[in-house]
Amino acid sequence: MIVQTALLIGLVLFSVLAILLRDLLKSAISLAAASLLLGIIFFRMNAPYAGVFEISVVAGLITVLFILTIALTKAGDEVRESRAANWVFPLFFIAFIIIDALVMKGLLRKIPALASGAETGTFGDVLWKGRTFDLVGQIAVILAGVFAVLALFRKRDKHD
Amino acid sequence: MIILFVALPLVVAGILPLVGKVSRRVVPDLLANAALLFLLVYAAITGRHLIAGGPVLQQLSWFGEPVAIRLALDGFSLFMLLAIAVVGLAACLFSIDYMEHYGAKANYYALFLVMVAGMNGLVLATDLFSVYLFMEVAAVASYALVAFGLGQDELEAAFKYLMLSVVATAFILASVAVIFGMTGSLDFAGVAKALQEINAGAAVGVASAFFLVGFGLKAALIPFHAWLPDAHPSAPAPISAVLSGLLIKVSGIYAMTRIFLNVFGLTPALSTVLMSLGTLSMVVAAFLALGQKDMKRMLAYSSISQVGYIVLGIGIGTPLGIAGGLFHLFNHALAKGLLFLTSGSVQQSTGTRNLDEMGGLAKRMPITAATNLVGALSIAGIPPLNGFWSKLIIIIALIQAGHPVFALIAVLTSVLTLWYFLLMQRKAFFGKLNEKWAAVKEAPFWMTAATVLLALLCVGIGILFSSTVTTWIQPAADVLADGVHAVIGSWGF
Repeated sequence: MIVQTALLIGLVLFSVLAILLRDLLKSAISLAAASLLLGIIFFRMNAPYAGVFEISVVAGLITVLFILTIALTKAGDEVRESRAANWVFPLFFIAFIIIDALVMKGLLRKIPALASGAETGTFGDVLWKGRTFDLVGQIAVILAGVFAVLALFRKRDKHD
Repeated sequence: MIILFVALPLVVAGILPLVGKVSRRVVPDLLANAALLFLLVYAAITGRHLIAGGPVLQQLSWFGEPVAIRLALDGFSLFMLLAIAVVGLAACLFSIDYMEHYGAKANYYALFLVMVAGMNGLVLATDLFSVYLFMEVAAVASYALVAFGLGQDELEAAFKYLMLSVVATAFILASVAVIFGMTGSLDFAGVAKALQEINAGAAVGVASAFFLVGFGLKAALIPFHAWLPDAHPSAPAPISAVLSGLLIKVSGIYAMTRIFLNVFGLTPALSTVLMSLGTLSMVVAAFLALGQKDMKRMLAYSSISQVGYIVLGIGIGTPLGIAGGLFHLFNHALAKGLLFLTSGSVQQSTGTRNLDEMGGLAKRMPITAATNLVGALSIAGIPPLNGFWSKLIIIIALIQAGHPVFALIAVLTSVLTLWYFLLMQRKAFFGKLNEKWAAVKEAPFWMTAATVLLALLCVGIGILFSSTVTTWIQPAADVLADGVHAVIGSWGF
């Protein structure tokens, strides 16, 4: 229980840091740390597939993409940011925590607990036999992403 | 083979960029339009025979072994598929000439078809997570399409749209998680059955509230509308037509009504919330539209207002109210699609969207002016056009259900609608021709053809409204009026 609480607090702290830090690089690394903790929580809750994906894709791959992108931006491209985020975000965050706690407290006794069990079957089984239609959707999302990149980074020939 | 509605646009989208290397214009134009034409014919002609004996449930198999692709086609989903195919085809025809100067046409059609596949997938999905996923498919493609012009405005609008859309999907996903935690199922039928058995009012309340915010953002109901007046005008005209005509309705209204009416069951409280939100959107957005100088921005606010009518109609919960709401959804898809296309013709010919700079364009663009008038009068609810009948049904349903105040507000808002549309028509097309536009010509063939097609449909459905209602609207409304029984009884696999 103590470990679980510590992990959850760490997750929230790193997530908040990812939003508040001005340095994009530090922000990306905080996000990676948060998702690493989330991955560990997934493992502890008997969801190894989710854990593996969280750590490899979100903590690993996406962080690499973020850092690469940050490396490609030029120094001196600084945009003046609104300072409002400094007080608006904590306000929202506190309000969210209060509402979240109240809702969860209200729900805890009302929701019948789902029987917990380890994920069964191999990963392929789960994806292919359980959620095939989502696989079609995934392919479509990837296609949309690729076409979006092709379209948005095309040579601006005639239009401009 | 109802999977074709998803698979065909995806496959064509996949090969389009390759084809685009060989032929930059003709073949992509042909392929994309042929795919949409096929879907329209398939939905319009085969669809009704398919569901003649009740909803069609399809379990797909891969080399003889069943896989977990389960699709369901009933009156409501068929009706949505038809709407998507009609407006999608009109926008695609319009793109043949309109997208000429943007470049990268094959790529544009590919994104367009992925968006169509996403909407079709959402409509055919039988479980909550697939709804979320296909909503994202359509949304990701639409972000890129809004930004397709690559100008400062377009990019900013796309970013704003992306940010608010992400908030919407986060709420939807959170709600899906609550439902899954409660019922252990994602399947519509499974969830509906489990919710009947367990007593979890508070948790269902939380899930409903999350869905309401999420789908409210997607449908751009007031107060969740901030993104729409930026995103829709900035997109290329055919994309504005599809976003306003279809996307907000499929990923907002279709998903919301399917879940609220067929899975959760419409409670009196939920009905009141929907009717109030609908009325608020209807009135506030109509006033906001009145003050707009930008033609497409006025149309965007008008969309929010008309979505209000649809939600108000469906929110009544009576069979007649639902039929009215759905009929208005279809009519608005046609008419608003038409108006965004004509605004695109005007923008391409004059280079401006500012109504104050236009004037007298009817002399130079008679067909565009006439089709624009048909669309405007249809949405304003002037007989005998299609929009009149759907508004009439909604108002009769409101009075029948004992809500005379809502009915009165709906009538008064209709007057406001007529007011701002006549303002638009007068400023843009009537009056003295502005000297600047002496050399303006009528829009090219395919652009005009697309607008004429939609205008003819508006007039035709207005005249043949009773047969349209009995063949298309009533079967869809019956599914929704049946409530949770529609899903529990026949959707179990």
